[in-house]
Amino acid sequence: MSPSAVQHATKTIRLTSAWRSPARSLSIATARSRSDSRSLAPFPRRSIQTATKWRPVQVLDEWVAKEARPISLRQLMVFGRSLTEQRLISSANYVRTELPTRIAHRIRDMQRLPYVVVTNPHISDVYDLYYNAFDMFRRVKEIKTLEENERFCQEIARMLRAHLSVIPKLAMGILECSGLMEQRELDRFMNTILRSRISRRVIAEQHLALTETFNSPWFSPGAKLSEGEFIGEVFLKCIARDVIERCGTAVQALARSANGPDVQIPEIRITGHMEASFPYILSHLEYIIGELLRNSVQAVIEHHARSKKNQGRPPPPIEVTLCEAQQHVIIRVSDQGGGIPRDILPYLWSFSKGPKSAQRLENLTQVPLMAATLQELRVDGNFSGLQDGKAGPTPPSYAHARAHDGSLTSLSTRPPHLRLGMGLPLSRVYAEYWAGSLELHSLEGYGVDAFLQISKLGNKNEQLATRATMDSL
Amino acid sequence: MIGLYRPLRCLTPKATPARRLRPRTAASFYSTSTSASTSATELHPSRQKWSQPPSTATVTDAEIANLSNKHQHSLSLADLVRHGRPPLSTEALYSSANFTLSLLPIRLAHRIQALRNLPFIVVSNPNISKIYNNYLHSLSTLLPWKHRTISNIEAEIQFTSVLAELVQTHQDTIPILAKGFLECRRYISPGEVTRFLDEHLRARIGTRLIAEQHIALHYSSVPHFDPSASPTPCPEHPSYIGVIDTALCPADVVNSCANWVAEICEYKYGERPEWIVDGEPETAFAYVPMHLEYILTELLKNAFRATIENRHKKEPIVITIAPEPPDAGPPKVKLDPPAENLGAFRSEAIKPLDDNAPGVTIRIRDRGGGIAPEVLPNVWSYSFTTFSEDDMPGGGSGADALSVISNTGGGGSSIAGLGYGLPLSRAYAEYFGGGIGVQSLYGWGTDVYLRLKGVGKIE
Repeated sequence: MSPSAVQHATKTIRLTSAWRSPARSLSIATARSRSDSRSLAPFPRRSIQTATKWRPVQVLDEWVAKEARPISLRQLMVFGRSLTEQRLISSANYVRTELPTRIAHRIRDMQRLPYVVVTNPHISDVYDLYYNAFDMFRRVKEIKTLEENERFCQEIARMLRAHLSVIPKLAMGILECSGLMEQRELDRFMNTILRSRISRRVIAEQHLALTETFNSPWFSPGAKLSEGEFIGEVFLKCIARDVIERCGTAVQALARSANGPDVQIPEIRITGHMEASFPYILSHLEYIIGELLRNSVQAVIEHHARSKKNQGRPPPPIEVTLCEAQQHVIIRVSDQGGGIPRDILPYLWSFSKGPKSAQRLENLTQVPLMAATLQELRVDGNFSGLQDGKAGPTPPSYAHARAHDGSLTSLSTRPPHLRLGMGLPLSRVYAEYWAGSLELHSLEGYGVDAFLQISKLGNKNEQLATRATMDSL
Repeated sequence: MIGLYRPLRCLTPKATPARRLRPRTAASFYSTSTSASTSATELHPSRQKWSQPPSTATVTDAEIANLSNKHQHSLSLADLVRHGRPPLSTEALYSSANFTLSLLPIRLAHRIQALRNLPFIVVSNPNISKIYNNYLHSLSTLLPWKHRTISNIEAEIQFTSVLAELVQTHQDTIPILAKGFLECRRYISPGEVTRFLDEHLRARIGTRLIAEQHIALHYSSVPHFDPSASPTPCPEHPSYIGVIDTALCPADVVNSCANWVAEICEYKYGERPEWIVDGEPETAFAYVPMHLEYILTELLKNAFRATIENRHKKEPIVITIAPEPPDAGPPKVKLDPPAENLGAFRSEAIKPLDDNAPGVTIRIRDRGGGIAPEVLPNVWSYSFTTFSEDDMPGGGSGADALSVISNTGGGGSSIAGLGYGLPLSRAYAEYFGGGIGVQSLYGWGTDVYLRLKGVGKIE
């Protein structure tokens, strides 16, 4: 099929906005009978022009057969430290082949899902996005000059922007499909696809950042970078305490403006090894810590308001403990927010939630708007995002930071009442991506302890789905 | 039972006037050709030659197969209290006896079956063999009762003494099994040992609980009211139903266990760690005090030892008691008031317990430096031990100081120091639907989460 035919075919099956209003109960008999009481929204009109989705599979097969080459934080750092034109071109070619390889694996995963799941409009959108991206990147020829690299970077930036709404779309699709597939399978699919998405964005954003650095006026090849700086997207020395303080302040401000001036906001106290630090991708860390602190702050506020004997007393503080060992840093967030209710506990790490699914789905429909326009829906307009340069360190590529941090930043700055139900499982995907872990222990009726473990050395490979991992270096 | 509850009463059943069934000794049951004499007085079976297991002449394979095919009832705390509040009437006592009788033979048969499926060389070990024969013996004492219904006083007394003998016979199962598996470690993998012991010890908890519950109810029942004569703890207290305390206050148990462990530390190390109890210390719920004491003692031993051995600052251990929100629904168990006023069991002394917490989570947080990552995967394994073959329990030389001292503390278990503390505690906690979670912050300390499920609301 020629590219234009593909484009045309894509257009004919693009679902109209009619399906967005749940009031229109369009349905096809087969879909309805399977899902009926278990699905959360009436299934909209399904595409029956499925013939156009049968794209030439041979091309995909070739790329699926290739293995992804995982990378570690340390490799990213070492590579970027001594940047030359040759290295930049080599990085471009690594990205050029890695992106389509990794997307191909995920497309194949999606193709293997039950038909009824992939024809869900949200999942179907994501499928189209991925397939188009694959089609585009696989045709890029080997990059030999800086100009070709520039054009390539523009393509990458465009794709990153276009894919900003993938996470909410996937989440909505998974919620709607929760009756159609076993929960465990759905969660495994979601974890795999999110992990892969992180991996593609990491290598893509890293390359963009390196290009930016190379092109910036102050750069000269071989310049020594001090520790408090970035190599591309990798922040060489995340000082845990600083990150937690910044995230804590932001979360408290959000809570204050969302709950009104009368409500007391709990304090966040940090103890332990205050100098603990490690190399990490800052936006990932800020997302995870942000989610944990958001959960804790919100839980403490609500629990404190509910229990009558606490009137007049300040809410109990949230205690963050930093523990630094030789190979790991562990961050423990301990709150007295009443613990996790029994009926939610089994679904804590699942994307296809239990009792609260309908509400989550409703809330998710508001997020695509936020992801698309970065400034929109900030709570009072004065609130500064985590990485816009007003607070804390920024990677040198300011312009690109806006574009490709958008997906996480907008999720991080949503109002606290908008419960999406993905914070914990998504945080765990990020934590485990660089061979860390996230565990939660709930004392029902009292509070929750969350344990985030991060590898300090940066020499663990990305945890990709398709390979056994080995340490490099 | 593990015996860390420091019982002061003697453990052999007292004869009730003119009505005692003397149990036949084990030796008369088995053929004399085997050298593995299973007399209870044999103290060092490891000195004997390894031998064949004796024949099962008195319990046929058909019997065992028949029983082990039946479903093994999962015991709940509600089962144990369903016969009523002490002092039980005669009818209620018979009902308890028959309920117990319906469960026990099946449970014993399942255990025998599991033991038989262990490798031949393992069951030939004298220690393991001894335990195997104990089970056979106990089943043989219960089989004559299988088709009877207990409906008169003499039968009930006889039955209770059979139960008492069963409890006594199996008192030291765990240390003996532990020795046996240690001797067999070349022939069976640690994973298999853990799998077997997990199942075996959990079943054992239930079996003993049923038996002890009936014995306690017997001694606090109307016809036989004599709590001080009971071989198992049978407090004369209105909140007790047999071995269950319906108003157990975990903070009290924490403090008493902590005091005991702290004394040992002070004696051996010259230091006495401090602890704080926070959360909601006034919490009460329904549970088996013996179990809670065992679990807490084990967990506190770990925390205290880690704190002492930590070179840096000694911070107090923080124990947080978090009750689950009370059950909003109707009471799970309804009990009639006691049949007669006897001792402390008087009608008006009984208070309704409708604000009981259904469960409790206890968090023990120490600053002892945490568990090293290479050790962490092994903490739940029964065969994980730093013991060498020479340091047999009670021998003292390489053994953990804390454990050696605690062994001498009156009826103490000699399994301490073999690394059985954590997995066994978890077995107890999980028995009624709870559990234990361990989170290590290596370089800082350890958090242990003990979740316990009680009976819930009793009225």
